Amino acid sequence: MAKFLGTRVLHSGIALIGLILAVFFLVRLTGDPTDLYLPIDASLETRKEFAHKHGFDRSAVEQFLVFLKDVSQGDLGYSLRKQRPAMELVLEAYPTTLRLAGVAMTLSIALAIVVGSIAAYRPGGVFDRISSMASLAGASAPDFWIAITGILLFAVTFRWLPTSGVGGIEYWVLPIVVLMLRPFGLMVQVVRASMLGALSSAYVKTARAKGVGESAIIFVHALRNAGLSVITVAGDLTVGLINGAVIVETVFGWPGVGKLMIDSVIQRDFPTVQAAVMVTAMAIFLLNIVIDLLYVALDPRIRHQ
Amino acid sequence: MSTAEQEAITIRRVTPWWRLLPRDKFALVAACWMVVLFACFLLGPELFGKAATAINLRARNLAPGSLENGWLMILGGDALGRSILARLIVASRNTMTIALTAVILAMLAGGALGMIAGYIGRGVGQIIMRFADVLQSFPSLLLAVVVLYVLEPSVTNLIIVLSITRLPIYLRVTRAEVMEVRERVFVDAARALGGGRFHILRRHITPVVAPTLLTILTVDFSIVMLAESSLSFLGIGIQPPEITWGLMVAQGRNYLSQAWWLAFFPGLAIMLATLSGNILSNWLRIVSDPEQRWRLETVGQDKRKPEKQGQGAGGRTDG
Amino acid sequence: MNFKNFSFGKYSNRWLTGAAAVAVVFGMTANLQTVQAQKIVTVVLSEEPEGLDGCNANRSTVGRVAKQNIVETLTAIDPKDGAITPRLATSWTKMSENTWRFELRKGVSFHDGAPFNAETAAKAISRTMDSKLDCETRTKSFGDIKLTTKVVGSHTLDISVNKPAPILPTRMGVVSLSSPNTPLDKLVLNPIGTGPYKFDKWTPGQEIILTRFDGYWGKKPVVEGARYIWRSESTVRAAMVKVGEADIAPNIAVQDATDPTMDFSYPNSETTRLRIDVTRPPLNDKRVRLALNYAFDRDALRGSILSKDIEHATQIVVPSINGHNPALKVRAYDPAKARKLIAEAKAAGVPVDKEIVIIGRTNIYPNGTEAMEAMMAMFQSVGLNVKLRMMEVGSWLKYLTKPYDANRGAILLQAQHDNNNGDAVFSIFNKYACGGAQSSTCDKPMDALISKAATQSGVQRRDAWREVNRIIYEDLAADVWMYHMVGYSRVGSRINFTPSISTNSELHLEEMTFK
Repeated sequence: MAKFLGTRVLHSGIALIGLILAVFFLVRLTGDPTDLYLPIDASLETRKEFAHKHGFDRSAVEQFLVFLKDVSQGDLGYSLRKQRPAMELVLEAYPTTLRLAGVAMTLSIALAIVVGSIAAYRPGGVFDRISSMASLAGASAPDFWIAITGILLFAVTFRWLPTSGVGGIEYWVLPIVVLMLRPFGLMVQVVRASMLGALSSAYVKTARAKGVGESAIIFVHALRNAGLSVITVAGDLTVGLINGAVIVETVFGWPGVGKLMIDSVIQRDFPTVQAAVMVTAMAIFLLNIVIDLLYVALDPRIRHQ
Repeated sequence: MSTAEQEAITIRRVTPWWRLLPRDKFALVAACWMVVLFACFLLGPELFGKAATAINLRARNLAPGSLENGWLMILGGDALGRSILARLIVASRNTMTIALTAVILAMLAGGALGMIAGYIGRGVGQIIMRFADVLQSFPSLLLAVVVLYVLEPSVTNLIIVLSITRLPIYLRVTRAEVMEVRERVFVDAARALGGGRFHILRRHITPVVAPTLLTILTVDFSIVMLAESSLSFLGIGIQPPEITWGLMVAQGRNYLSQAWWLAFFPGLAIMLATLSGNILSNWLRIVSDPEQRWRLETVGQDKRKPEKQGQGAGGRTDG
Repeated sequence: MNFKNFSFGKYSNRWLTGAAAVAVVFGMTANLQTVQAQKIVTVVLSEEPEGLDGCNANRSTVGRVAKQNIVETLTAIDPKDGAITPRLATSWTKMSENTWRFELRKGVSFHDGAPFNAETAAKAISRTMDSKLDCETRTKSFGDIKLTTKVVGSHTLDISVNKPAPILPTRMGVVSLSSPNTPLDKLVLNPIGTGPYKFDKWTPGQEIILTRFDGYWGKKPVVEGARYIWRSESTVRAAMVKVGEADIAPNIAVQDATDPTMDFSYPNSETTRLRIDVTRPPLNDKRVRLALNYAFDRDALRGSILSKDIEHATQIVVPSINGHNPALKVRAYDPAKARKLIAEAKAAGVPVDKEIVIIGRTNIYPNGTEAMEAMMAMFQSVGLNVKLRMMEVGSWLKYLTKPYDANRGAILLQAQHDNNNGDAVFSIFNKYACGGAQSSTCDKPMDALISKAATQSGVQRRDAWREVNRIIYEDLAADVWMYHMVGYSRVGSRINFTPSISTNSELHLEEMTFK
């Protein structure tokens, strides 16, 4: 186990360095931020002076050497847009993202397992049809459409909920529902598909023959066998949310890392993009390690490979 | 199909799929819808190209449900008074080309890499998985901006961007399933009988992995469409005067409180395409699965025939 | 498979832990907001300010919060007619070609207690002009102009410029003065000025709070404080004012301005146009450029895609700016004339079938994409081969500013320009002079006139700019002129506030009262 973790962390570290290199050089292919940062009417001299001061008139390799030197001193650069340390911006935004992702995924997984399992128990049945249609419709609906319609309906027409913003539990309702639609929809489908396979396998029949109750068959025996793909898909969906829930952050005014990333890419705020990728990548790599550990916990045979 | 499955099918009298289809109303409707979409894909731009671009500011944001301005305005008019129905039909070609190509490419590439990672071995597998980590952590918007800024913003480049961002999920799911399946007895048996790696992957592992991948694929269709929509909204990717459903959704975004139909109908089109794809893939799965096929064959007779559940065992054993 | 070591007990434990974690997550943010407190105004902006440093206050995102609320300027520009009015300076006189003397207001102090006098004012100006800082005031309005200050008396300051400065008092209207205790080497997030409100708190991503400054030199305002929040969707901003979560949304889209009792339009000093690249065939032929102008049905977009309150434009500056030429007449929609001009050009050997590309920028102004689609169709209908390409801001900028791509084709660039600084000089040089960073024209006689106008003052200056605007419009026809735009504000029912041409860049809390 320790050896597994050791090599895994080492490999992830190498991949992280590769990622940072890729981001550093690729982001510099997207143009010179001088024009975006300076006012549209700035003179050519001002532009040259700005580019020179921030090193954009130098080659990408030279810029990278400066970056390495700064990083070795613990300095990840200043955000061009906000004139503050880039890492500070990212770390400010990250808790919001993690909270949203955590709550939305926990609820989605729990609900999807129950709904998907029941649907798989009688494929083609009424429950299966309704739950499949509803979850798919939710997953394939444009999320901003749901978000804004939700605001207009529940905050403006009925006045049950606040329109947007951060605060107590009533502020969470709309964002979380919007955020859950896609993970829940996809998870229901995957749980259902995996359970279908598992329910018709021999060991479930054996369990049934032994007189194990139906609910135990579904939620313990079959589900456990269906677990690998469910965990994998859940992991991928979590990664999506860790990268930021852009629509929810934008519409509801939750200051997360998704909006920060989009603004920084569009505004060519290179230091912030780099810092944001660094932090999200670490979270994602960590999550993938946890998922691999879960595989082993769920299916001990995998350990022997 | 494994030999066991073939055996299971020959035991029963096989009803051909086209006779099974009408027995499942949902699948039938879904199939009909697919035919309609395919017709739009083939003929739409040629038949309705003019109507989709004809600007008529008097019919601006015209509400749906009225035939007064001609049947093409039945779904209303957009912000420039163009027929939403005509635009939906014309957009179907771009939409399907982009979304279907992107998801299928992602599935094939992801599936192949996943099989290698899950089956062949540690070294290569580790490299592939860390590569997947990097892909997952690379901001997809940045990828889009890089590709579409450095190269030309074309449909092909957009497809490449979208399929790269969707690749990791197929890769991971395939690998996870392969790791589990390859330990099952029948694979061991096949290996013992001298089946080559490729033979085992193709004959034993692919049939088990495929249903999950197909399930994800159908949902992914809408995810890719909506991702394309957000790219359009940010000014990257497909832009007017081209049309896709995603672009129509993005353009309707600013009018949600005044003219909901601008974003609603293209959103509905995405949703319906996804739903019918999903229903059909579920149906196909049941048809091709001897364990489940009885559900369709017996429709209209007894709803449940539990005694048949016991038949066909041995399709997948686990020991 | 082995599932003996598996129990529900284990699971229920995990569920409990999960539930506890969820509770913690919610609890951490359960700081219920106390909105609608008595005399506090809540303003919902379209984006979070990038910073709040006083030397960036003429950037609209910063200015809406800080300018004239927290930090003040020596002079102010009256939004109605562009007249220069006293603010921190009480009077000014011209000493020489390059130097002006400003008498400063007495009895003023900064929020941190530092006195406002000639010395502290000089310090604030030199900080703004320091090239170590990327102050927007310097980069936007003082590109090649250097200011030097000389303290003459306790409240008398001489400001000199490195070239003739006929309109220095106008220029000083964009220089906001911060406390002498502001760090010289970096931009700050907590500006300290002399204004009627002082900076209180900034919760990044969420809100900025200002409170009334009791030591203010001027009249005590009614509003006791302000809370700034931001939502990027116009629909949400409009909804927030409607339900009372916010009092003012300074900027909402035209399609959300549906309630005449709350929504006010105001000219926002923006002028829209398509910039014609006059160097590329077929656009190098004036007949084709005029044809584009005649083919554009200006009235069709007004009141449909764009607001009904926009004005037809004939030049880059709005009527309240010194140098606006009121004699220029809008070219009426006349497709027949456009076709005739194109036919003439074709007969003269101009390649009128060559592709012309409209380069548009997404989200440049509300419904900008639809406007471009409509204009493309109008140009096509008179027989021109026009294509539209919309792009994001970074790619669009490549076409906007020099150096231009040598291989570019015939381009019509969707552009918008904002000048509420009182004088046409802030627009003309950049957009039309040979050396202008965004100029696509180079007309030698006009260039001489531009250089001369920049040194003149009074009526001569006004007339010189008017002549330049006439040349651009009549002789060069270098643009497809669109509109002087308007913005919409939604004002909640408990507030009295009328938006003006300056609302886009500054939002004066002192002018607001409660009903």
